[in-house]
Amino acid sequence: MMFVWREAFAGLRRNLTMSIAMVITTAISLGLLGAGLLAVRTIDRTEDLYYSLIAVQVALDEPTSADDRDCSSPVCTGLRGELEASPLVASVEYESRDDAFARFQRIYAGQSILQLVRPQSLPATLRVTMADPLRGEEIVTQYTGRPGVRNVVDQRSTVADLFSFLGSVRNATFGLAVVQALAALLLISNTIQLSAFTRRTEVGIMRLVGATRWYTQVPFLIEAVVTGVVGAVLATGGLVLGKVFFLDGLMSGRLLANTIPPIGMSDVLGYVGPVLVVVGAVIATATGYVTLRLYVRT
Amino acid sequence: MIRLENVSKVYPTSARPALDDVSVEVERGEFAFLIGPSGSGKSTLLRLLIREDVPSSGTVWVANWNVGGLAGRRVPRLRQRMGCVFQDFRLLPNKTVAENVAFALEVIGKPRHTIRTVVPEVLDLVDLAGKAERMPSELSGGEAQRVAIARAFVNRPLVLLADEPTGNLDPETSAGIMTLLERINRTGTTVLMATHDRQIVDSMRRRVVELSAGRLARDDARGVYGVAR
Ligand SMILES: Nc1ncnc2c1ncn2[C@@H]1O[C@H](COP(=O)(O)OP(=O)(O)OP(=O)(O)O)[C@@H](O)[C@H]1O
Ligand SMILES: [Mg+2]
Repeated sequence: MMFVWREAFAGLRRNLTMSIAMVITTAISLGLLGAGLLAVRTIDRTEDLYYSLIAVQVALDEPTSADDRDCSSPVCTGLRGELEASPLVASVEYESRDDAFARFQRIYAGQSILQLVRPQSLPATLRVTMADPLRGEEIVTQYTGRPGVRNVVDQRSTVADLFSFLGSVRNATFGLAVVQALAALLLISNTIQLSAFTRRTEVGIMRLVGATRWYTQVPFLIEAVVTGVVGAVLATGGLVLGKVFFLDGLMSGRLLANTIPPIGMSDVLGYVGPVLVVVGAVIATATGYVTLRLYVRT
Repeated sequence: MIRLENVSKVYPTSARPALDDVSVEVERGEFAFLIGPSGSGKSTLLRLLIREDVPSSGTVWVANWNVGGLAGRRVPRLRQRMGCVFQDFRLLPNKTVAENVAFALEVIGKPRHTIRTVVPEVLDLVDLAGKAERMPSELSGGEAQRVAIARAFVNRPLVLLADEPTGNLDPETSAGIMTLLERINRTGTTVLMATHDRQIVDSMRRRVVELSAGRLARDDARGVYGVAR
């Protein structure tokens, strides 16, 4: 068995430039795949976060907003009762004009917009938490234009843009990962063929002495697997650096702070890293195996 | 031990068959020379025996193996029971003398402690005990051939095939190689050696099988290289 490892590492050293190219390409491909996985994970979390916060807001018209502190008016109780009876709805909360203003003051504390807003411009609302957040539109169509209702807003539509942005980031990353993976595959395959060609006399002699095909070819396979695993480790390292020096800064900046949940070190090392190592090893092994079957006959 | 039954070999690229209906048998423990002019089919015959190629027709037997019909994955087993020596030595250039010999044992999965004791013994047999750590490039032709013989012999093959093993060596060195092959033959190993070397064949007086243009031309029990022509 020692023989096999010795040969594999000798092979990697022999074509050092090729090996480096192979490792870099593999690492980039896996890095992109990893970034894509992190994006997916972030999107999921962001969605979870928002779906637990967002609701359908049924804003009440001016008379009700002005007078009703606790949803005791017939208009409000009627709407509320009807909403609570709906199977689409999980719960309904009433926010009076004064409550809304208090919340507004909390959110924009210290900012100039506060001076421009008076309580009178804010409606009282029924905050409807959906049983299924994706079906908010149905409530919107049902209640828009009803007596006592000013308008109905599904908050989900306001964050949809964010999700579609994150979604396209993810798709682009996966797309690049696939193209780059193709390059890595071809490079691995080519290197194995080259390796086998350089060593054809040697392999011929081994076969003559009675070495099995498997015995002479395992070193090439190991070369490929080592490449895959080293590539995955480098890719993970790259993602860690990317997180520490780029993402962490971006996420804590004014624009995105508290908008997107941060990516933790455990996401990179505990989830994406192992996935990349497995993917790298499996793809390299498969490529190596197919190459040896198809192109290396000795 | 070796039996060819009406064996013919036609290479796709040439019209004339390299072997043409050859039947010959070599008994266990025998020592036989395979002679004939260049292109008469000697190497082709040896290549069929180790299944580097398959016959176009006829059957090739080595021990109990029908060599031509052997499944590809069984071929290593056959070769592990045969030793091969060539004019160009065919040593692994990046392994030492000892590693080259040990390799033939590693391949058949011999445990490391066995390898450690057997390799020096065999190197001693071929008189190379002091050069175990040399690289093949640091050996003379005669030494390299002795390493090749050690490698061929180290797992006690049933048959040792030699294709012009003295082709690159001077007469004196050749004589040394022949002594070695005789010694190996005396341990019971069947030896079949293809050669052009008149002097060797004449001095040994062993069985001579002669090929001519792919046909069996002569088979003498205690022959000489050629009837005076
Ligand atoms: N791989 C091959 N493809 C096509 N023809 C071949 C091949 N190998 C050998 N031949 C032909 O088969 C015939 C026999 O060749 P072979 O090598 O067996 O001769 P030989 O007796 O070993 O000759 P030499 O004494 O020169 O080594 C020759 O005519 C040769 O050209
Ligand atoms: Mg020949």
